[in-house]
Amino acid sequence: MNESSLLQRFSERINALKKLPKIQENKSIPELLEEKGFSRRDFMKWASAMTAVLSLPATFAPTVAEAAEVADRLPIIWLHMAECTGCSESLLRTTYPTIDSLIFDYISLEYHETIMAAVGWQAEHNLEHAIEKYKGRYILMVEGGIPTGEHGGYLTIGPHGQTGLKTAQKASEDAAAIFAIGTCSAFGGIQAAAPNPTGSVPLSEVTHKPVINVPGCPPSEKNIVGTLLHYILYGTLPALDAYNRPKWAYGLRIHDLCERRGRFDAGEFVEAFGDSYAMDGYCLYKVGCKGPYTFNNCSRERFNDHTSWPIQAGHGCIGCSEPDFWDTMGPYEEPLADRLYETVFGGLGADATADKIGMGVLTAVGIGIAAHAAISSIKNPKE
Amino acid sequence: MANHETKTLMEREKEFSASYRWQHWIRAFSIVALTFTGFYIADPFITAEPNAEPTNFLQAYMRGWHEIIGWILVAVFFFKAYLFLFTRNHRGELESLKDLTNIQVWKQQIGYYLLIEKHPKLKGIYNPIQFAAYAGFYLMLIGIIVTGLILYVHTTHVGLGAMLYEPMRALEVMMGGLANVREIHHILMWGIIIFVVGHIYMAVYNAVFGKDGAMDAVFSGMKWKHEDH
Repeated sequence: MNESSLLQRFSERINALKKLPKIQENKSIPELLEEKGFSRRDFMKWASAMTAVLSLPATFAPTVAEAAEVADRLPIIWLHMAECTGCSESLLRTTYPTIDSLIFDYISLEYHETIMAAVGWQAEHNLEHAIEKYKGRYILMVEGGIPTGEHGGYLTIGPHGQTGLKTAQKASEDAAAIFAIGTCSAFGGIQAAAPNPTGSVPLSEVTHKPVINVPGCPPSEKNIVGTLLHYILYGTLPALDAYNRPKWAYGLRIHDLCERRGRFDAGEFVEAFGDSYAMDGYCLYKVGCKGPYTFNNCSRERFNDHTSWPIQAGHGCIGCSEPDFWDTMGPYEEPLADRLYETVFGGLGADATADKIGMGVLTAVGIGIAAHAAISSIKNPKE
Repeated sequence: MANHETKTLMEREKEFSASYRWQHWIRAFSIVALTFTGFYIADPFITAEPNAEPTNFLQAYMRGWHEIIGWILVAVFFFKAYLFLFTRNHRGELESLKDLTNIQVWKQQIGYYLLIEKHPKLKGIYNPIQFAAYAGFYLMLIGIIVTGLILYVHTTHVGLGAMLYEPMRALEVMMGGLANVREIHHILMWGIIIFVVGHIYMAVYNAVFGKDGAMDAVFSGMKWKHEDH
């Protein structure tokens, strides 16, 4: 699709959205931004940055700005399942109130348990009301894994004592688009780690509707807002990778665009935290960086307004946006070759890595060979 | 004296063709090189010589060689599969399938290694234990090639890497992510190392006790045939 036809498609989509009623009649996004002290220039700078994040040409910045302005037509219902609220924190508690958080906090978040004033019966009513009022129009964002053990009883919320499983399924039914925010909701996350006592599963396993995964522990605010803007612009779900993650954000590995990649290729590695190599900014692979196995755009977008990110701060990536990262990426401060296997023989097999087990088997084979050769040389095989 | 000569008279017999021997040794050396570079990639144990210029590429060279030799292994694997399945010269390998399904031969072969039975007479060129071990080796080889290719498509996004990208990512999902793929690759390497050690021992053992120059065959192609066999 060439630039002008894409631009036209975006404009048609935005015009269609403009015809929809606003969520709050008395507030528009340009007014709100002005009220909160953001100049038009600030807003356009932000829009340009988001354009780059979405890998669109710079000439699309005004269109992206327009798309952000119609975000007040798309209500968002945000559900909390088995989680730590870190994803909400990532979005809402940025270094200072940003344009991203303003759009979410003040305008489009129709229902969000952490920041709403309502409690108890009233909160429950608000959710039901929002689902009813914006049927087929709202965007559902779910944070947290869905416990399915004991028929979902491990997560029971609200005065009706409804399970999270049921709430998530019900809200998914009438959503225009569903985004699983964070690794828990996308892949089960930490509570789904072995032995997964609550039977936590990703959102995509409890609904038959398509789910866009935006994993990360937490995902950056750019990935959350970017997924929303992408939906506003295109009106369809984005191009996805093998794990249903938007390609614009999760198309490459952390490793591919890492600022320390040159050190990796050079074979220059930090040997221990705090050594002189660490001070020189060498590659963190030998102290456990899992960037080579992890798909995300942290190395490009970073966190907190592009301030920093784990590898810049001197600790390797822990692979938090990959499925089952809690089980497959450990130990976090050693290379993957030192991955520990579940203990066997009542704990005697503890601390066993593939290399240790391999050397053990090799030694046993060596002893067997030596014994067989010795016996054979005394008592020759029959001819 | 004349009597003694007739007793030891043996005929030379073609065991392995030239193409078979070449693929065997290319594969053997590539396994050694891949193991070495692979251990380096898993945990870089050599420190690059300090250099003020940004011209160190130790990891990149190791990875580069690992990939180049890996492709040689892939090529040799396909060549061997062709020899095994489609060429008349190597019918002896397929003939071994008949011994593989014969329980009597199995019993006798195990007995031979336990030093209590005579070596069985074989229809093909491999005994059943040997054939099973080779089959296991080839399965591990397929596994390590596939996991290797999954890892490869993330280092090279053009050409073959681009062509293989989508199917390899589907396999990556089946294996539960790239970290698992890398771990399976590592475990299969250990399987191959252990196979190689056992293989060398059995080859030497049969050369020593079989007295038919079995070890010669993989160099010269010729083996000595016992008259009574």
